[in-house]
Amino acid sequence: MPAIGFGIVTASILAVAGVGFTLQFGVTNILNLAYGDIMTAAAFVAYLTTAAGASVWLALLAGAAFGAVFSVLLNRGIYTPFVRHGTRLFGMIIVTIAVSLIVQNGLLATSGASFFSLQMPRPSSVHVAGMVFTTVQVAIVGIAVAAMLLVHLLLRYTKLGKAMRATATDPELARSCGIATDRVIDLAWAISGALCGLAGVILVMNLTTFTDSTGAQFLIPIVAVAVLGGIGQPYGAMLGALVIGIASELAAAIFSPEYKDVVAFVILVIVLLARPQGILSEIATRKEVAA
Amino acid sequence: MRIAVTAVGAALALVAVGACGGSGGGASAPATLVVGEFNPFTGPDAAFGPEMVGGCIPAVKLINASGGVLGHHLSCVQEDTRGDPADAVPAAQKMMATESSLVGVLGPSSDEALATVPLLNQGKVPMFVDTGQAAFDHTTDAYFWRITPADDVKGYALALWAHKAGYTRAAAVFGNDAGAQSDVPTLVTAFTRLGGTIVYNKPFALDQSSYRSEIENLLAAHPQVIFTEVDPQTGATLLSELQQLHGLIPVVGTEVTLQAPWLKAVSGAIGAAAMARYFEGMQPYAPPAGPAWQAYNRSLVASGSQVPKPGQWSSDPYSMTYYDGVNVMALAMIAAKSTSPAGFNKDIMKVTEPGPGKTVVTTFATGKAALRAGKQIQYVGAGGPIVFNRWHNSTGAFEAARYEHGNIVLVGSVSAAQIAALSR
Repeated sequence: MPAIGFGIVTASILAVAGVGFTLQFGVTNILNLAYGDIMTAAAFVAYLTTAAGASVWLALLAGAAFGAVFSVLLNRGIYTPFVRHGTRLFGMIIVTIAVSLIVQNGLLATSGASFFSLQMPRPSSVHVAGMVFTTVQVAIVGIAVAAMLLVHLLLRYTKLGKAMRATATDPELARSCGIATDRVIDLAWAISGALCGLAGVILVMNLTTFTDSTGAQFLIPIVAVAVLGGIGQPYGAMLGALVIGIASELAAAIFSPEYKDVVAFVILVIVLLARPQGILSEIATRKEVAA
Repeated sequence: MRIAVTAVGAALALVAVGACGGSGGGASAPATLVVGEFNPFTGPDAAFGPEMVGGCIPAVKLINASGGVLGHHLSCVQEDTRGDPADAVPAAQKMMATESSLVGVLGPSSDEALATVPLLNQGKVPMFVDTGQAAFDHTTDAYFWRITPADDVKGYALALWAHKAGYTRAAAVFGNDAGAQSDVPTLVTAFTRLGGTIVYNKPFALDQSSYRSEIENLLAAHPQVIFTEVDPQTGATLLSELQQLHGLIPVVGTEVTLQAPWLKAVSGAIGAAAMARYFEGMQPYAPPAGPAWQAYNRSLVASGSQVPKPGQWSSDPYSMTYYDGVNVMALAMIAAKSTSPAGFNKDIMKVTEPGPGKTVVTTFATGKAALRAGKQIQYVGAGGPIVFNRWHNSTGAFEAARYEHGNIVLVGSVSAAQIAALSR
């Protein structure tokens, strides 16, 4: 039982990160492998915010805002020109890897291979249903639930959400139906970037200490969550986060900490064998990149 | 055809001239001899590289200030292994192919030693390794030299220190990397021999976002103390979660936990007061005192332009041994009257082993002067005496240290004799 509770905390971080990752991929079809490094950069923004004396709540907003702005600029400044020059799926993956290396090494150069901690009050313990959590972990779960609800409301009940879903399904058709797909894509990058920044900050709130490569180390579980849920499917990513988060904690509790990743990825492989398109999916494979 | 032959001839002539210049012939200045800093500078173990720079630069600075070696100056050149054999092997090959004046390397570390030691040995490159892997305890590689204790020796030191503190139930929390895991077998054996019980022993996957389930299982075994070697990120997450969920218990770590990045990461996560109260680390005994250390420290402090925050390496035993490694190679070159690795490698033992009538020297300058005067020398370094066994390993005592008010404070030691008695 405690492992399931702990898994929910891990799943909360994965859900915020995974939904942001898959939302952007669903709309643009660009597999942004610099995502983890943008998380780290947002964590540094949060660190500087708390170091300046602001509260951790303001740091969360600053991290999310940074993620949104940086992602839009990244798309406009780097990814879109490549797409317009005809770079296709595989080429774009290489471009995102290059961006990942640039961001990571830029952070390394400016931060100096050191470790940093957000300045926030020491958390106290909270007992819930026989499990012990810290107030920070409870806050992380709350932030994730709120973020997922907002994403749900956005996708389901707003014109923007419908436009994003339409663009994700067929950008050409969406454009010919009068949807301003360029604006939709910008907003998709902004929302995805905000979730990315938020995920970076809650990740380092949970870790307590971070370095220039912290977000990049978290990228593989994020991609796994997105793939497990059905790439491009935000609801699938939420479900995928729960499965991987809880499975990895159960593995650590029942078997050995060494099998944490092993069990989570074995489940991923088994699910994909049964449902290659992921748990919830509408296949987006034949789509071209859109930016 | 004639033009082609002439062109080829001219090209060959140019190559020949270039080769003459490269070997130091004619009036050109003698080549600067290169010491490779062959360690991770990026990746999870990126902390290793700067520690090595903190030893190499002060040594080279003093050697060059003393007129160099047989007319040559020395320089330290970084070779980033990224802590991964897949990157380290090509890095070693590139270094040996491109550094024509390479006289030796510091490293490799445990991350890449198994893959690269044979290569370096085959290339006749003397290496002062920082790997602790027990696989090299009885190596016959002629160019392998180790003046830091093997990992399996660390296990004895940790067990002896915990036993001395009265602990009988311990948890072993070591990363699932090869370097950390090589500490565990001797730790378990030694602690059991001393009457203790290892109640929890599981390899930890590194850099996870949480260790809550592991902590629950660990605490269910009721240990009095935690033995550990994990990377800084893992240590910070693990101990802060332990502190927040249930409260800390004493922790005894290996020398990895006394390195600056680990101390910064973990003290940032659990707080300086908790760090001072609950944490102790064991590292090779290298007291920051004595003439050799003073020379090292003076040069280190003066190397601020090349060594960022040099003071952090003042009492770091690994930085001291890297410093010693460079000095030993330089003195061996003078003893052998050769800068060729194949020529001076055998003299490494000669300039370090004790013996009747030998002049004990504690710096390169005094060693050089003694050798020029025709004396035999024993170099005693910043890290203490170096006594190689037949497998080119030199192991000494261990010291226990705490982290108080931003400084490492020595609190006791475990002698080489105690370790030897336990390991029999």
